[in-house]
Order: sequence, then structure tokens, then C-alpha cells
Amino acid sequence: MAFLEISGVTKHFGPDAGAAVDDFSLSIERGEFISFLGPSGCGKTTTLRVVAGFEQASAGSVHINGVDVSSVPANRRNVGMVFQAYALFPNMTVAENVGFGLRVAGQPAALIQARVAVMLELIRLPDYARRYPHQLSGGQQQRVALARALAVQPQLLLLDEPLSALDAKIRIELRSEIRRIQQELKLTTIYVTHDQEEALSLSDRIVVMNMGRIEQVGTPFEIYNYPRTAFTASFVGHLNLLPVQVTDAATGACTFEGTPLASSQPAPNKQAGSARLAIRPEELVLNGTGANRLSGRVLSVNFLGNVVRLRVRVGAVELSVDMFNERKLVLPAVDAQVVLSFPAHACWLMD
Amino acid sequence: MTKSRFNPWTWLWVTVATLYFFVPLWGTFDFSMRMKRGAFTFLAYEKVFADPKFLDSFRYSATMGVITVIVSIMLFVPTIYWIHLKLPRLRPVVELLTLLPFIIPVIVLVFGLIRTFSRPPFRMTQTEFTTDILITAGYVILSMPFMFRAVDVGMRAIDVRTLTEAAQSLGAGWLRVLFSVIFPNLRVAILSGSLITFATVVGELILADFLVRPALGPYMIVVGGGKAYEPAALGILSFGLTWICLGIIQLVSRGDVRLQPIGR
Repeated sequence: MAFLEISGVTKHFGPDAGAAVDDFSLSIERGEFISFLGPSGCGKTTTLRVVAGFEQASAGSVHINGVDVSSVPANRRNVGMVFQAYALFPNMTVAENVGFGLRVAGQPAALIQARVAVMLELIRLPDYARRYPHQLSGGQQQRVALARALAVQPQLLLLDEPLSALDAKIRIELRSEIRRIQQELKLTTIYVTHDQEEALSLSDRIVVMNMGRIEQVGTPFEIYNYPRTAFTASFVGHLNLLPVQVTDAATGACTFEGTPLASSQPAPNKQAGSARLAIRPEELVLNGTGANRLSGRVLSVNFLGNVVRLRVRVGAVELSVDMFNERKLVLPAVDAQVVLSFPAHACWLMD
Repeated sequence: MTKSRFNPWTWLWVTVATLYFFVPLWGTFDFSMRMKRGAFTFLAYEKVFADPKFLDSFRYSATMGVITVIVSIMLFVPTIYWIHLKLPRLRPVVELLTLLPFIIPVIVLVFGLIRTFSRPPFRMTQTEFTTDILITAGYVILSMPFMFRAVDVGMRAIDVRTLTEAAQSLGAGWLRVLFSVIFPNLRVAILSGSLITFATVVGELILADFLVRPALGPYMIVVGGGKAYEPAALGILSFGLTWICLGIIQLVSRGDVRLQPIGR
């Protein structure tokens, strides 16, 4: 049995309500960093709250380290939690906040003091012990919240959109900080987010969720490059979709407005007919040598710094094309005619 | 604001309001100082303080005030906390209920209390102690709108639910959450509710009068019926007491860092 076993968890809020979480099962190994990724209302936070013990599952069970905790109250699960709203206790100093869990556990004062010092060192705020939460910035408050959750040495760390209330720069900084600390402590962690960039950059595995169900579980590389459902494909990263006619379901050959295109995978429903061909913007190459070629007209050129994003009209559809910036890059002019190419292995057919 | 700072209308209204408020007050004060013909003395105040009945009734009312405050806090803080946490949909209903003392006259309340609790099986008006229990219950109801509002606003200023969950995830049980997290962060709210409750009880007349208890309100009426200068002095005194209460609220809610109601 894995370190954390979530089996068949289902949650209804009220007898008539639909399932907020529907038959969620997942095994998480010790030391793994798992992200729950999905749009708001997809059930990711509810699942996390069931693991934390703040919600009682309507069905299913949660095992931590082999122990069924389904009916153990939140305060006896030894699970650390970090909230989007920081939730530091306003009446306590940073040191008192971090030491709160240890005081509740009845640890001796000397031990608490030592442990608080270690934790403040870990979050790199050693000089802030005597400050009050309202004297700290949002990013600092969230670090303290992290230290507070870690001080009690929880079996499991749960983070509920911890960076959503922070501005972009702090977010990226704190993101790598969270990962560093998690690696240092080898702590089993679940991270809830709607931000795909966070999930992709932090996680060992990502759980993509939609409408209370798991869409796909996999490493960031698998999720991004081999999405198994249309939802995952469109939710994670940008995706171009071409309406095509499948000509050979077994090889994945098809035509787009008369142009023959090759894909490397068979059609998902194994039959000819209408389908959509999916391709990531960065796989499209301007005037390249790929097997598939489409010609179109440039609609717009957006320079984003490291990436240049083009919009190109091909027949009846508009495609996004991403190119890496380099100093010798020659940008096509708006209205210029271009040929886009991509290899067969870069695209796949969807229903 | 880009408007002129010396808008004459502003000053006119400030002056009118100040006069409206202070002229009667000054008049009462002036009158209370003229007990001795042709002199300006504190004689009326001396007489008030020299009357043992004044001190007794003040002591009684103050004691009842403190008891009422304690009962109100014990009753309302956990109740409102629970409503915020578990039954947020019930909040408007409870809020409406707490307004009832404003709608139902005190005289109706006291008759209801007497009719229900003075007959068997309660017979609560038979002894002074049980009558005091009854009057405390009445005071709690009378001050309910103030206490509820103060604590409710305090609860809304902090994120009760998330703070509770944060404390729980760190191992804290319900009592721990209540006493280490909720109460300290509601200090200002509870204190302001308490002081208004205290002032309400000390100035209350009808409950004490009908339940025949030696409170300050009935005493003031008796004094007012038979004397001229002392009631004015008493009026100024009770006004001063209320102001002191309000002053303490102001002082504390500005307060130092530890008493900040919310983190910023």
C-alpha cells in the first residue's frame, strides 16, 4: 500500500447536489510532490479538504501510512495545511505562530524555541520572529504559514492555492522556495492549483481534474505532451485544433481542406470521418521541413520577449505559432504568406 | 477632496450640532452647581455621594452589569462563532431575533417575565437571589442587540473559518481554538460590546423597578421626584460614566499592535 491512499472518495454537498468529487482514487508515494490541477469548481480543493479532515467524504476512504483516517478529526491527523489566505493568527507574533502547533502538543518551551529558530532559518526569515503578521508582506506571511505548518513535522503537507493571492514575481520566487523545502525535508506534498505553470514546474506528478473527476494522472512531461483527454489537452498549454477528415483511421492519416496530413497515432474511435487534429503552437515551424505543410497568411505578430507568438490564418481556422526569440530572428510581416510545417509525431487526432 | 477647506456651510452645521448637543448639557451642569444660592459649588455632588442609598444602588447596578456582561459573553461568543462556522445561512434569522428587544417594549418583557416566572413551578420572585437571576436574564436580552452586533462585526473582520481550520490542522481542539485564537482576536469587539452592555444595565429603569430591585435607575427616579439639584448632578454623573465607557472603547480599538483586530 502506498503512503497515502485515496480510494473511491466521493463528496456530495447536500442530498440533491451533484458530486463535487466523484470516485477519486489515487496512490501517492512517500516524498512525492503531487499537484491537483483544474479549473475552479473541479473538486480539487474539496478532495484536499477531505484528506485534511475538514470535509467528511460521502463515500470512500483515506489511508495515511496504512492507517484509515476517514473518521479521524482534522486536529488528530498530523497533516500540515497552507491556505490561500495565509491564515496566520493576527494576535500572535511570527515566532508564536510557528510555535503554535508545538505548544498545542505540549512540548517544552526550550524545544519550541529551538525548533522555531530552525524553521525561520528554513524559510529565510530569521530576523522576523517578533513581528506581527500585519507587519509582513503577503509573500513573507505565506512563508511563515509554511513554517508553521512544517514545525509540527506533519506526515503530509497540503497546500491550497498558496500563491494565488501573491503578485507574479513573488509567486515564482516562492514557488521554487516551496519546492526546495519539500525536497530538503522529503515531504509528501499535495498542491492544489489552477495555474498550469505552477503545476508543471513543481510536481512529480500532476492530477488533472474536471467536474469532480480525474481526467489524467502523469508526470508534467506526459500531461503536456501526451494528453489523453480533450480536456487535459486544452486545459494544459495552448492547443491548435484543425477540423479534419480522417482518411485512414489505422495510420492516422487525414485531410484538412483537401491537404493531406499525417499523424503518428491511430484515430481514437478507429473509424474514418470528422475529427480534430491537435498540435501545440511550438511544434509549428515557419518554412520548415516537417512532413505536414500548410500555407497561410500572418494575422498578427506578438513579441513576448523569449517567445514570439504569431496568429496565422490557414483556410477557415486561425493557428497560434510560437517561435523562440533569437537576435537574428527575422519576423514575418503582417499579411505575409507563410508555410507552416510540422512532423507527423507532433500532432494527434481527437474526437 | 478638492473642495475648499473652509466651506462656510460645514462650519455652520458643525456649530449648530455642537450647540444642540452641548447647550442642554451645560445647562444641566450649571444648574447642578447652584445648590448654594449665589455660589458655584459641588454641593449637590457631595450630597449625592453622601447618600448611602446612592452608593448601594450604584454598587448593585454595577455588580449586575458585570454579571450580565459575563453571561452575555459566554452565551453569545460561542453561539455567533458556531453560526459563522457551521450555519452561515442562519445568520440573518438570528440577527433579526437579536433585534426583538428594540421592537418589544421593556414593559412587555418585564410583565412576561413576572407572569411566567413568579408563579409555580418557578416562583422566582420569592427570594432576592432568584429575582436577581431573573433580572440578569432580562438584562442579557435587553443588551443582546449591542453584544450580538459588536461580536458579529468582529467575527466578520477575521476569517473565522480559515483561522479555525489552520488551528485544527496544527492539532488544536475546539476549546483551544476558542480560547487561543478566536477570543484574543475578538478582544476589541467583545470589549466594546461589554461596555455598551454595562452602560445599558447601569442606566436601566423598568426591569429593576418592576422587579423591585435596588438599582440605580429606580433610585434616580425617586431622587428626581423629591429633589431639585441632586438629579441634575446624577444626570451629569451617569453621562460621564457613559462617556468613560465610550472613551475606553475608542482607546482600546485604536490600541497597540497586540489588540489589532485584523492583520493587514
